[in-house]
Amino acid sequence: MRWIVLLCRLAVGGIFIYASLDKLAHPGPFAAAIDNYRMVPYPLLHPMAHLLPVLEMLMGLGLVLGVLRRGAALIAALLTLVFIVAIASALARGLDISCGCFHTDGGHGVGLDLLFRDVVLLLLCLPPLLKRDGGPELADLLKK
Amino acid sequence: MARRTTKSSGGRGRSPLAEAAWLTVASIVLTAGSWVLRPDPLPLRAEPAVYRLELAAPLVDAPTALAFYETGTHLFIDTRPVGDPEFRTIPGAVFIRQDSFDDDLFELFDFMFPEDPLVVFGDGNLTGPSNIAGRLKDRGYRDIVILQGGLDAWSDAGGELTTRTRGEGDS
Repeated sequence: MRWIVLLCRLAVGGIFIYASLDKLAHPGPFAAAIDNYRMVPYPLLHPMAHLLPVLEMLMGLGLVLGVLRRGAALIAALLTLVFIVAIASALARGLDISCGCFHTDGGHGVGLDLLFRDVVLLLLCLPPLLKRDGGPELADLLKK
Repeated sequence: MARRTTKSSGGRGRSPLAEAAWLTVASIVLTAGSWVLRPDPLPLRAEPAVYRLELAAPLVDAPTALAFYETGTHLFIDTRPVGDPEFRTIPGAVFIRQDSFDDDLFELFDFMFPEDPLVVFGDGNLTGPSNIAGRLKDRGYRDIVILQGGLDAWSDAGGELTTRTRGEGDS
């Protein structure tokens, strides 16, 4: 089981690290991508455009390295849940927008396939969150 | 085989909530630090007009506008309101302001034609140039673009600037 947990950790962590890179480099276009969802009030838009990629990067590193692993998995699960709500809400309102998931310039449009992808991502977050024994961790490797 | 009971940083000691709180605090601190250190930080508060404005014409970036200028294909239109007696602008630019639109356009009657390609620009705020572009479209001008970033972007891209004194053809 711990290897399944490790695989989930590496998959989710890797996805979030990759997702953070373009957003960290281009906070302006990412803010525009967030604004496309018409859900975030303007006073929070820029702080969120700066904070979210940093949180994704730290959380991804936490999962991959096994540092604060369960906390990182909890944040990953909550963020993915927020993404699912945002995408479902955009679909319900008929918004034809890019998701802003990995690339800030264009990228994948919101759709049911994206919703399905995020549900799978949410399921992958659960083993590292719920299992106490989550495979090799950085602290273990440093002790050797 | 005995199960390891070592408490490591990997989640065997603290609760997930406590770890998540640590990660969140660390992210906030890093975000604040990177925001301060960035060469091009976003303003703390988003300007709704930047996101919600339905522009009356497409945007072009400064290097593209610079290429238009160098080939001489486009007429540049300064839409900034009259300010200081001395001001800097793009050489050869003509002036059409929101509060004197009809008078300014009348003065350019023999100089600017509906088929002319136009680049409208302001101080970086898109509201003024978009307003002028929309009104020009209403008057039959069709080939209009807006310079993104305004005069500052033009200057940053290496565009030439000239100092004009109010009254020198600034309508």
